[in-house]
Amino acid sequence: MTTATAPEQAAATDLDVPLLEVRQMVKDFPGTRALDHVDLTVRAGEIHALLGENGAGKSTIIKCICGAQSTTAGAVLIDGKPVSINSPQEAQAAGIAVVHQHGNLIASLSVAENLCLGEPLPRVGGVLVNWRALHRRARETLAAVDLKLDPGRLCGELRPDEQAMVTIARAVARKARLIILDEPTAALLPREVETLFAQMRLLAARGVAFLYVSHRLTEVFEIADRVTVLRDGRNAGSFDRATMDRRTVVSAIVGAETALRERHVAPVSEGPALLSVTDLRAPRVEGVSFDLRPGEVLGVAGLPGSGAEEVMNLLFGRSRAKAGKITLDGKPLRLRNPADAIRAGIALVPQDRLAEAVLHGYSVRENITLPSLSRFLRDPLMRFVHGGRERQAARDVVARMKVRTPGTETPIDALSGGNQQKAVLGRWLTTGARVFLLNSPTAAVDVGAKAEIYELIAELAASGAAVLFTSTEVEEFPVICGRVLVFAQGRIAGTLTGEQVTEANIMTIAAGESLEQD
Amino acid sequence: MSKTDTTAPGLGFDLLSFLARYGTILSLIALIVFFSFMRPEVFATTRNMLNVLNQVSILGIIAIGLTVCLVIGQFDLSIGALATFGGYMAARFLMEIGPANGTPMVVAGVVLLVLGMAVIIGIINGALVSYLGISAIVETLAMSFIVTGAILGISRSRTISPVEIPDAFKIIGQGSIAGIPNPVLILIATAIILWLFLEHTQPGRNMYAIGGNKEASRLSGIPVKRYALVAMGICAACAALGGMVAAANLGAGRPQGVGDVYLLNAFVAVFIGASTLRPGKFHVLGTAVGVLMIGVINNGLSVMGVPSFWQFIVQGVLLILALISASMMTLRR
Repeated sequence: MTTATAPEQAAATDLDVPLLEVRQMVKDFPGTRALDHVDLTVRAGEIHALLGENGAGKSTIIKCICGAQSTTAGAVLIDGKPVSINSPQEAQAAGIAVVHQHGNLIASLSVAENLCLGEPLPRVGGVLVNWRALHRRARETLAAVDLKLDPGRLCGELRPDEQAMVTIARAVARKARLIILDEPTAALLPREVETLFAQMRLLAARGVAFLYVSHRLTEVFEIADRVTVLRDGRNAGSFDRATMDRRTVVSAIVGAETALRERHVAPVSEGPALLSVTDLRAPRVEGVSFDLRPGEVLGVAGLPGSGAEEVMNLLFGRSRAKAGKITLDGKPLRLRNPADAIRAGIALVPQDRLAEAVLHGYSVRENITLPSLSRFLRDPLMRFVHGGRERQAARDVVARMKVRTPGTETPIDALSGGNQQKAVLGRWLTTGARVFLLNSPTAAVDVGAKAEIYELIAELAASGAAVLFTSTEVEEFPVICGRVLVFAQGRIAGTLTGEQVTEANIMTIAAGESLEQD
Repeated sequence: MSKTDTTAPGLGFDLLSFLARYGTILSLIALIVFFSFMRPEVFATTRNMLNVLNQVSILGIIAIGLTVCLVIGQFDLSIGALATFGGYMAARFLMEIGPANGTPMVVAGVVLLVLGMAVIIGIINGALVSYLGISAIVETLAMSFIVTGAILGISRSRTISPVEIPDAFKIIGQGSIAGIPNPVLILIATAIILWLFLEHTQPGRNMYAIGGNKEASRLSGIPVKRYALVAMGICAACAALGGMVAAANLGAGRPQGVGDVYLLNAFVAVFIGASTLRPGKFHVLGTAVGVLMIGVINNGLSVMGVPSFWQFIVQGVLLILALISASMMTLRR
């Protein structure tokens, strides 16, 4: 094991030649160009942040660099020499390691076993594992990155930051010179982020380069030496410490504001609230109050873990509130489970359509009437379903939601993502829901269907329903929300209305900053 | 297989989906035609056909109950023990009451009582599996040990003899109405009731939804955990009913070895059924086809005088073929 020499070698290389250079990379997927002549340069010892919205091409470029995906055109150079990386093994040989958000380690194995995963283990007599040698080797590996951990501990027992650091230690032990971190801090507490950053700085000083992908701008400004911004698969700016200021970076990320796009904003309505939330408290939600009026599309925005998504889960009875009051039409609601919420007239379109919403292998009709079968019963005792009325209800939903399907008996899996989503949204028309909680309703939906879904949401609101909307894509809020509550650390950090609802404003508040007055 | 590979993609596509849907039914028909052709004078008679149905009726009752359990995605390995439990307990209660007092009303009461006891065991299974999150395979295996042990203890390993059981009970397994054996009638009734339940009632549809996507079902307001109790209760009741028919047929209450035969065969039948008509889904009609297939193979081979070890081999091969045909549909998606 020569754990310490790899970074030293890296530091010794000529500083003018970048460690990694991506030249004019192009990646085409059927129907779309995910990367359009992207350049990226990472020097040894540099912490380089890669920024961009969802779909900007960050994940794609990482996959192309580490060989998980083939490229359409362009070159990857390591130390100035073109390389071809087509597998994780080749990436490792080239000195590139990727640390994903989850799933880097096997939770049921010890730290020592994880560190040696996939490598020949030291043996006794060529057969049995030499545990003592294995642990000694693990201690050396950990010591090389100043990590104090018992190699015998199971990885599943480690804190998230320790897991990330063990993964980094493993990468360093395998002579990685470029470590790609994909949203490493998403699951970490602030204190844990600090320990991870300390380790990154230590390794960077020894010449290891980091390519760091994150949504959290505050952290990026704290740790990054340089920043590359991608937008719609193209380079949208590159900044170093001197030129990096928040406004420039944010405007590079969001690009031209969405004001020019077709908006579907419902007018902000006045009058009494349909749903009223007072001082709602739960883990990650610290005293949230707001009113939702009929006819309104209210956005709840925020970074992952900010509480925006959790508020939706609380309002649907998916998780339980510790304290707080929720009233519907002035009457207090008790939400112990989703069934309570549905009875009260609340509907949820969950974020992960395939895992949480679609009944695979079943027809469009069965997917639509899933929550409302009790409305089509022939009798209350045996609970036989009236097939004719059920089919009629499914046909009505298909027509009203403009679901493009050969018929209501078509298997839902045969539909496009957008049409599946319209069916899943439409299932709540049959329960008589008045409050719609929509979590990323246009995720994994093509552009045309997106516009249709925006229109349907606007129509829902126009018909008197109240819509609470959140999305992983910030650009959607200005398109459909008349008012947006921006969450940060479990609280509503700011409320934007009308023209104030812009991507830049949302991102600024979500990052924990206050809006500058122009 | 190689044939479908060489045909035009469009045609191979359809053939594949056709085979996945109708393959098992076609093979069942092919088997019947084959045996009829080989031994027309013995196999292809009304009497032998009724005989086949009678032979599979107990297996069918148990397998149809198991179908309900698999619809929600849970396994139940306690059905063998529960069948033994049903048969022995019914015989034991009737023995205690005395064969002379065994009027049809008393027998009906005992049958309902035993069914109720089985339902309680099934509900305990369901509660442990869904509320405590224990693996259904292991939990129901453990329950089968407990039930088997309890019966051995209660019976002191002594079989209840025919003279101790009233005729009103034995009729369940030995009598017939309009020439159709009672076990076959019970099978048909069970199949129709559970088919209606699963396909045409809200609880049945909800069970299919749970099997399709648990989280989506929960988010649609379906009490997912409670349905495990219902499904495993129904499954246990069917197993006990099958056991009672077996005891009535035998005219004796055996404390061991009654249900074990049916456990694995029931799984085979249900999985063959899941590759029929609606590939990848468990349903009563499919299970019925699977049960008939097992009955036809066993009867046909023995009618032809083929050594019984062939029955096992043929069943195994057919099950694998059925699973392949079902997986071809899923692979294509």
